[in-house]
Amino acid sequence: MTYPIKGEHLYKRFKKQVVLDDVSLTLNEGEIYGLIGPSGSGKTTLVKILLGLEKADSGTVELFEQKPTLYAFRSLGYMAQSDALYHELTAYQNLSFFAAIQGLRGRKKKQRILEVAESVGLENDLKKNVAQFSGGMRRRLSLASALVHEPRLYLLDEPTVGLDPLIRRNIWTLFHYLKEKGATIIVTTHVMDEVSRCDRVGLLSGGHMIAEGSPKELTEAFHVSSVEDIFLVKGGERQ
Amino acid sequence: MSYLLAMSKRIIQQIIRDKRTIALLILAPLLILTLVWYIFGADASDPKLAVIHYEHSELLPAFKKADYKRMTPLQARQALADGKIDAYVDLKHPVDVHLEGSNPSRNGLVMSKIQKSMQEVQKISVNQMQDRFQNVIKKQQQAIKAQQQAMKQMTQIIRQTAPSALAGLDLNLPQVGQNMPHQQDGEKPQLDVTYLHGDDDLNTFDSFGPAMVGIFVFLFIFMIGGVSFLRERTTGTLDRLMASPIRNDQIIGGYLIGFGLFVIVQSFILTCYIIYVLDIYNVGSLLDVLIIVFILSFSSLSLSILLSTAAKNELQMLQFIPLVIVPQVFLSGLFPTDTLPRWVQALGNLMPIHYSTEALRNIMIRGTGFSGWWFDGLALLLFSAVFITINIFALRASRPVS
Repeated sequence: MTYPIKGEHLYKRFKKQVVLDDVSLTLNEGEIYGLIGPSGSGKTTLVKILLGLEKADSGTVELFEQKPTLYAFRSLGYMAQSDALYHELTAYQNLSFFAAIQGLRGRKKKQRILEVAESVGLENDLKKNVAQFSGGMRRRLSLASALVHEPRLYLLDEPTVGLDPLIRRNIWTLFHYLKEKGATIIVTTHVMDEVSRCDRVGLLSGGHMIAEGSPKELTEAFHVSSVEDIFLVKGGERQ
Repeated sequence: MSYLLAMSKRIIQQIIRDKRTIALLILAPLLILTLVWYIFGADASDPKLAVIHYEHSELLPAFKKADYKRMTPLQARQALADGKIDAYVDLKHPVDVHLEGSNPSRNGLVMSKIQKSMQEVQKISVNQMQDRFQNVIKKQQQAIKAQQQAMKQMTQIIRQTAPSALAGLDLNLPQVGQNMPHQQDGEKPQLDVTYLHGDDDLNTFDSFGPAMVGIFVFLFIFMIGGVSFLRERTTGTLDRLMASPIRNDQIIGGYLIGFGLFVIVQSFILTCYIIYVLDIYNVGSLLDVLIIVFILSFSSLSLSILLSTAAKNELQMLQFIPLVIVPQVFLSGLFPTDTLPRWVQALGNLMPIHYSTEALRNIMIRGTGFSGWWFDGLALLLFSAVFITINIFALRASRPVS
């Protein structure tokens, strides 16, 4: 078993506020891992540290079982909470740029752009300016930019926020399709009906990983009807 | 390498697709240059002048009809009050000048014009004096001749009567006559001006123009480059770049090349405009101008990227302009800085625009080739190198991965 991503004993504080307090997380190859927790629980910080965009105060991160290197980023698709697109450019130009800085070129690049555009349902909007896009379209284009170079590992920060239920379902279908092709996905969310579609979830609260396991295991272990209730149980325990 | 190209290609696409920015980068400088050209006048209009009490004046030939309207004292006073003329000259009391006087630069023009006429006036009075002297001299010569005649007669009489008394006397006489012609052909010396650089048509705009091309390039690249890098940070696209295999120096390098190429186009248009449309004085090569401006854009862009780290939004980015651009304009050499305190001059030496101004003037007005601008170009490259290095380190700090 290989571990696409492994973070151990991560601490992070911003000024006096402790954001992550001894968080460890290991992803298994080919799984969809859901990182859930209320806003402000440190999900985004954890993702950024795993990516190497932020430095943990202490603890270690391994990407594909070695210290993170630029080369490892080739196999990594990141979608930030903000859309992170160039609004002056067309959707095609955006995808083309992100594909190019991931090393794609020529016909292969063009073919991949058309493929991912289709998979997020934007194939007819490629020539439009991103500035004219609706919020949902931007979100999907942002996702497409993370997919375009066929990475082995996806880090997706709230990929479905602001999308309508139908598109959301299509996107989860896409995630499962990617998983079948062998990709590993870590996705943050606070939409609870998405939790059940993950193979494993980690519950982050106040900088601690309070529970980890498959949704089914968790609900059984805590004797609750949904994963969401674990936060209530755990919250009650602490008080 | 392909990452670098992808970066710069994207920058250029962004600029091209943003029509407002294109308009700002090209039309705004053209508009301002044209305004400045009018203000500092390719041809500052000739001062309008008049003469009064000219009827009996011998000095009138110095005040040509084309330059000086003939007016009665009443007309002249009225015209002066109405602002129709800038000054009038009263020839009754040679030479009284009455100026309109509300505009110092206009006064200067009037005075320099009248000074030129005054040279004529002097010539006329010198000629008059010469005439008078010559009359006097002629009379003296006649008197002397008469005396000589008398002397000759006397000497003959004396020779006949007492020859020994003459020994020391008669040598002095002819010398007076010999000295005369010398003074007559000594005309008033003419001022003959040759220019090492430029010519007597060189006006303020000719010396401003080259500097202004540099200033525009610096200003606009500073604004647009800084804001677009800032947006990269605030929209999160920088994070996306950071999570890709592109290297820090390739990010900065892509920016430099993308904007640099655009600057070449922009400054080519600007330079052609001032040379061929505004007809600025230019003896240097256009290629040299473009090289300097290209290098200048590096220092502008790298400085603005550096400062964008200290800004949270576009407004904060623009707040740097009064701090970074305005002092540079004043200390660039556009205005003379020789008399400023040492420390202000030293400050000027730390400013990129100072070097671009110097280099562009050397190229366009003094027509020097590489030997004239290599030092300034080197200084600009040095600035860029320092800023770029700091930028790469700043990026590295926000990207713990090697």
